[in-house]
Amino acid sequence: MRLADTLHLALRNLREAKLRTALTALGVAIGIASLVGMVSFGVAMQDQVLGNLLRSGVFDSITVTAAPRAGQRGRRGGNAAERVREAVDAARQATPRIRLNDEALRRLAAIDGVKEVYPDVRVPVEVSFGDFSDFTGATGVPLSARGQGVFQRMSFGQFFANGADDACLLSLEFARRINDGAPGSLVGKELTVGYASAATPGDSAAGVPPGMNIQRTERKFRVVGIVERQAGPSPGGAMFAAVMIPLAKAREMGVADLTGPQAILRQLSDERIYSTVTVKARRAQDTENVEKKIKDMGFGAFSIADLLESQKKAFILLDLLLGLVGSIALTVASLGIVNTMVMSILERTREIGIMKAIGGGDQDVRKIFLVEASLIGLLGGVFGIALGWAVGRVINVGANYYLQNQGVPAANLFLIPWWLMAGAIGFALLVSLIAGSFPAMRAARLDPIQALRHD
Amino acid sequence: MSLAVETRDLAKHYTMGQSVVRALDGVTIALEAGEFVGLLGTSGSGKSTLLNLVAGLDHPTSGSLKVFDQDLAQMSRQDLAAHRRTNVGMIFQSFNLIPTMTAVENVALPMMFAGVARAEREARARALLEQVGLGERQAHRPKELSGGEQQRVSIARALANDPQILLADEPTGNLDSRTAQEILARLQDLNTRTLRTILLVTHDASLASRFVRRTITLLDGKVVPETPS
Repeated sequence: MRLADTLHLALRNLREAKLRTALTALGVAIGIASLVGMVSFGVAMQDQVLGNLLRSGVFDSITVTAAPRAGQRGRRGGNAAERVREAVDAARQATPRIRLNDEALRRLAAIDGVKEVYPDVRVPVEVSFGDFSDFTGATGVPLSARGQGVFQRMSFGQFFANGADDACLLSLEFARRINDGAPGSLVGKELTVGYASAATPGDSAAGVPPGMNIQRTERKFRVVGIVERQAGPSPGGAMFAAVMIPLAKAREMGVADLTGPQAILRQLSDERIYSTVTVKARRAQDTENVEKKIKDMGFGAFSIADLLESQKKAFILLDLLLGLVGSIALTVASLGIVNTMVMSILERTREIGIMKAIGGGDQDVRKIFLVEASLIGLLGGVFGIALGWAVGRVINVGANYYLQNQGVPAANLFLIPWWLMAGAIGFALLVSLIAGSFPAMRAARLDPIQALRHD
Repeated sequence: MSLAVETRDLAKHYTMGQSVVRALDGVTIALEAGEFVGLLGTSGSGKSTLLNLVAGLDHPTSGSLKVFDQDLAQMSRQDLAAHRRTNVGMIFQSFNLIPTMTAVENVALPMMFAGVARAEREARARALLEQVGLGERQAHRPKELSGGEQQRVSIARALANDPQILLADEPTGNLDSRTAQEILARLQDLNTRTLRTILLVTHDASLASRFVRRTITLLDGKVVPETPS
């Protein structure tokens, strides 16, 4: 018997018992809706939590450092001038063989899966505003950080409009130190920022190696926004500081890195060498691979992608648990399928006898009943997804109305991705096949003579 | 002529509680291909049991049962289904049409089990219904047909897969005498024109004697010596 004919017969049998088919399919639909509702809630929660973490820019960031190798140590002795020269030579030789320079930045950017590479610029500065003056730290912030991490929500003002303006962001804490009563009033005001920069060769003092000649430079920066450090695992990376300026601006200012003796010595080099570089992966899933490739290139690399994995595992467990709870209704529905099919066999016993008497085999009868059960499952699965989606939308609207009244931003509490739809229909089919297999086997094993005598 | 059906010491016993019912008890018969044979006997004589065994609806308890030299006693359930599909066509007293199907769908059903393509089986089913004089009643369901018409649909269905043997179990039992004669005349015509072997189970010896070539009479599961018709 052809599959198309089996399907045709099964469909016409179901049409003949419309009410019973509809009620059984409704049972399956409620079961699937419950399952889909539970899992889609878990998926939405996962999206809310992991999505926020991913958007924080923490999980797709890799901090790259040069991996120094053991260098030669300078010998003791000689006069002061010789010792300085030897120390400079030793520092040059101790510079890592694989330097974190502009060439390295280009190589890192060429790695498959890398979205962006930028050096971490962190400098000590003196900030003056009216009578206020204090030493603090400033960092360079890439424009791509807009809307990520701590920059997702600005306390006052807004993110940099471009990388060319002499603009800065302040941390809320630092802004309060300047004006405790109204930190927001600083937006639009100009601050004076003093910092150390390397003197040009013409200004260099006699006898001092180039790069060792540091001078104070002052520059005006207009405050465009104020951000608050947030609690939790997304502090915004290394870029959060009291004063934040556009990274492009920070790089063109010729800031001298005075964060430590090694940093100072690195400035003796003819080229620009960075202490740390941030590499952004295109997707959080790529982070691990990119990190490995960076390490293979000989750099030091660090990321916290492992934390994302453990979070994902936790959500898989949550989804499983919710799925199990949702499956209870489907289990009850599967008993409904068994009941419907057993009743159908009782009603159609004589028909089964006739089919066997005119040449129908056990397999033919089994297939007809299995396909009938599967069709009920398919029908229930499709309607179940629609029902689950509809109920989810209603709850979503109600919950968001409540949340917004409480001042909490709206969130999507139910998400039905394509894999959940396909999985739910597949599961409904599987459950109905299992539920239908026992009645189908009973029908197939019916004695045709007994069946023909059945009223 | 070759033998269509041949039994030797065929027995079929049923257990009912503590007692054993010997429905068939050492039946030895032979039907030549193309014969129209009446199987007579009172109620409980074993004639329907013999017909069911030849149809492959049941397994014998002992003895041999050959249809065109194939031993049905040795066949699996799957082989017996194939035998019912291709070698025999059954006609029942209560017609046994599927009530939810139209006449043409009922006739096409055995061909569906035989894997015949839809267009081909529908064309053949319509032709068969034309042959039994039901060309105008093809789209009717059984309950919309008279007893005689239902039995004609049943005959058309029995012929669907072009079997060499027709097995008719009291086909006139639910019909008035005029319709009964018409049905038997149709079977006789089929036997004469197509040389199909027909085994007709009936308790009406006088009616059967007007159409069949010979009769076999069963009594208490045993064959009563044959008499020429």
